[in-house]
Amino acid sequence: MKKPYYYFKQLLLLIIVSLVSSSFISSISIAENVDEINPPFGLRHYDIGKAPDFILNNIDGEKFQLSEARGRWIFLHFWASWCGPCREEMPAVQRLDDIFQKDELEIVMVNTAEDEDTIFEFLAAINVELNSLLDSDGQVTEVWKPRGLPTSFLINPKGEVKYQAIGGREWDKTEYVQFIRRLIATSK
Amino acid sequence: MLPIIPLLAVISNLQVATPVIIKTTELELEFTARSANQMASFYEARGFPKTMLSILKQQCFITVGITNTSNKKIWLELSNWTFSSAGKPLKREHRDYWKNRWQNMNIPLSKQSTFRWTLIPETLDYLPGEREGGNIILPFTKDAITLEATFATGENKQGKTITINTDKIFCAQDAP
Repeated sequence: MKKPYYYFKQLLLLIIVSLVSSSFISSISIAENVDEINPPFGLRHYDIGKAPDFILNNIDGEKFQLSEARGRWIFLHFWASWCGPCREEMPAVQRLDDIFQKDELEIVMVNTAEDEDTIFEFLAAINVELNSLLDSDGQVTEVWKPRGLPTSFLINPKGEVKYQAIGGREWDKTEYVQFIRRLIATSK
Repeated sequence: MLPIIPLLAVISNLQVATPVIIKTTELELEFTARSANQMASFYEARGFPKTMLSILKQQCFITVGITNTSNKKIWLELSNWTFSSAGKPLKREHRDYWKNRWQNMNIPLSKQSTFRWTLIPETLDYLPGEREGGNIILPFTKDAITLEATFATGENKQGKTITINTDKIFCAQDAP
């Protein structure tokens, strides 16, 4: 006959295995419920399905196609130099870019309907290293229909639009950085 | 930081009329009239053609800022806003009217786009705490403008309707 100590050990082992399993299962369920992560103030759920694709040149003349940037979260940001909040927000977008690796979060800036010289002078004047795509005739912006300028969209690695932010934000604030980290974690 | 109206920030250095502010328990509205020269200098600096500027100079521009101070969703629908002056209706042109007008004049797409971004959207839902706005364009009048506006509330617009009234809005005029 086995000693009571043996049964105690078996019970303890069972409890440990259960705890580890439940923790593993719960971590999987978080990963599956990305849509249930509540965004911080200023960001709203914006499930419109596949991100409308576009091809635009940046200020260096290089082509960028949105659909080719899948596999990471995209921070798509519409702006114009005449928009005061855009100007105020830009350094925070730069800091957000500094925080994340490009294979986790890629910042894609789209200037709305301004010429190359205006954009170049503006970015140099506010001392940011960010490049920007040129939506010279404003037609890509029309398709995306941001509610105002600036507006940012978060697109998941499958190319689906998930969140929208209107107005300038301090993107390097803990609440936004943690939120984006959680999004990135769910897609790993 | 709360979203701010882009145009407000851009022309904030210019002399502006005293804003009309309306506060209810659910929302706050701010109306600031912009004179013809104020608006023309903004658009001129963006390279707008003279033909476009001469039309815009004849209008009455009101910059509207709306803040949802409630804890539920509030819906802006400009079709539910009625303007009148001296006892007669004052027609606010829909953004599509301007789009067609600029298209018929072959205004460059980039200028059309910039113009549209300075207008307040025809419809917009405001989450608690959100502040957004833009311009409304009315025919110029020297008389006081009366506005009656209603806002639906709630996720499906089934909540209480908010009504606001004012007869204190005036178009801004440049000094002679």
